[in-house]
Amino acid sequence: MPNIAVFIEQRDGAFKKVAWQMISRARQLVDANGGEVWGMLLGGDAAAAATQAGAHGAHKLFTAEGSFTTYDSERYGTAVAAFCRAQKPDLVLVGATSLGRDLGPTAAAKLGCACISDAVGLEFAGGAWDVRRPVFAGKCFVDVVPKTAPAIVAIRPNAFVAQECGGAAAAAAAFDAGQAGLAPKAVVREVVGSAGGRVELTEADIVVSGGRGIKGPENYAMIEELAGALNAAAGASRAVVDAGWVDYSHQVGQTGKTVGPNLYIACGISGAIQHLAGMSSSKCIVAINKDAAAPIFKVADFGIVGDLFEVVPELTKAVRAIRG
Amino acid sequence: MKIAVCVKQVPDSETRINLAAPAAKLDQAGFTRVLNPYDAFAVEEAVRIKEARGGEITAITVGPETVRETLKKDCLAVGCDKAIIINDPALAGADEAGIADVLCAALKKDSYDLVLFGIKAIDDDSGQVGILVAEKLGLPHVSTITKLDLGEGTLTAHREIEGGKEIVDCPLPAVLTCQKGLNEPRLPSLPNIMKAGMKPMQVVTCADLGVTPPAALVEIRQYSPPPARGTCRLVTGDDAAAAARELARVLNEEAKVI
Repeated sequence: MPNIAVFIEQRDGAFKKVAWQMISRARQLVDANGGEVWGMLLGGDAAAAATQAGAHGAHKLFTAEGSFTTYDSERYGTAVAAFCRAQKPDLVLVGATSLGRDLGPTAAAKLGCACISDAVGLEFAGGAWDVRRPVFAGKCFVDVVPKTAPAIVAIRPNAFVAQECGGAAAAAAAFDAGQAGLAPKAVVREVVGSAGGRVELTEADIVVSGGRGIKGPENYAMIEELAGALNAAAGASRAVVDAGWVDYSHQVGQTGKTVGPNLYIACGISGAIQHLAGMSSSKCIVAINKDAAAPIFKVADFGIVGDLFEVVPELTKAVRAIRG
Repeated sequence: MKIAVCVKQVPDSETRINLAAPAAKLDQAGFTRVLNPYDAFAVEEAVRIKEARGGEITAITVGPETVRETLKKDCLAVGCDKAIIINDPALAGADEAGIADVLCAALKKDSYDLVLFGIKAIDDDSGQVGILVAEKLGLPHVSTITKLDLGEGTLTAHREIEGGKEIVDCPLPAVLTCQKGLNEPRLPSLPNIMKAGMKPMQVVTCADLGVTPPAALVEIRQYSPPPARGTCRLVTGDDAAAAARELARVLNEEAKVI
């Protein structure tokens, strides 16, 4: 009976939507194979989490009190390990976010269990989990089978679709997160910036990226404007980042962020393999480039061969007209 | 200040993976191998710390003999003082936990104030080993750092998070994983590459380190090529505005993505 626990990440009272995506996928798996889906929440609004988790298919919600306002690998890692020892889930899913990518291996080391990073597929067949993940930033995929229970798997945001199934609020139960006597050494003194307001690249439904074709830092505003009209995140190619036109946090590619949004619009990006690796799993790719022979058109679903300085502002207008 | 930098040699980011059908193994024989780009940030940061405060830097890697050139050119020639290669055929199929165990054994042979890693290797994209090593050694860690300030026996690091950063205080010794933005790695000069050949490079086995190669916690079932993409439909119009309007319509009405 493979019970699946899903870590529900919250920051400043807001839940990461990857939690609902993971619960939805977990529910499909337990409906087919037996078992339950359990939400796991550290701090935060338990009532709101129970409603949302239940609506997406969670059977139970385990909550713990403690100093969980900011992320602390020692506190969070200990809590997840304590949860696993007490409840014995078969599988623990965490979002492959900045928090989840740290929490997964931290908790796995405490438990001596398998940890699989950045998964985009999860199946249960023949009594074993089959976890699919991209390697070489998406140039190929690997199927990995964890050999321990629990196993911790970090799921990439947008890999699964959040689906409400009309479930009632998940039944809540408290668990002992093992926090007594903990004295974490690495301590977050301050959090600068916030998740609110700006759409973040790896979690965005739509990404608009600019490449060398934008010609200078002053023209990146055009990319940001289209991104704003679409409520999208703004990305960039390595060339643009290495030239110092935008901050490295915008870089999409093998040495930047890997993204898989519903829509990726590449403006003035030729499509070097380094870049394609970071975005080729996007569901729909649009290329705007004046060079019809640019490799980006080989992965694009739709394209305009034209001058981005003419096309992009017009596309922004057209999008605004549609979106109102 | 004694610093260890744990590095990995990986296929260059321009590498093409030619995989027509699912396969149990990935043939990596012909790949051009370089220092993992994220590890270069770790090496550079170590060298800057040494330049500012003095100390000694040991580069440690797990890999075959072919890692020598990368260690020499990209670690020793830019300022690392010595290198340790853990080369053992028993580690051929090791997973993240196994590599972490072996690195821990090597790190325990000495006493380091700082252990630096890149955030992840660009081949298996896992990003776990640095954090696993910290936990297994019982050391605090800060992952994905983009800024580092050292105090007396303490450090303050900026950790990249979605849409911002965390400012983290941590005592030494500690483990850090380094992200792009931390620094701008220097290139080795030719004379320094020549001189790097004189620096000590030690090759050790698991037995030398007194560690048994651990059983893998995960099993690789198969590698497969990414799903094929359809052909590109070019959207046109009388002018840029018409083409843009048509593209917006297609994305809205047909692809239903906006």
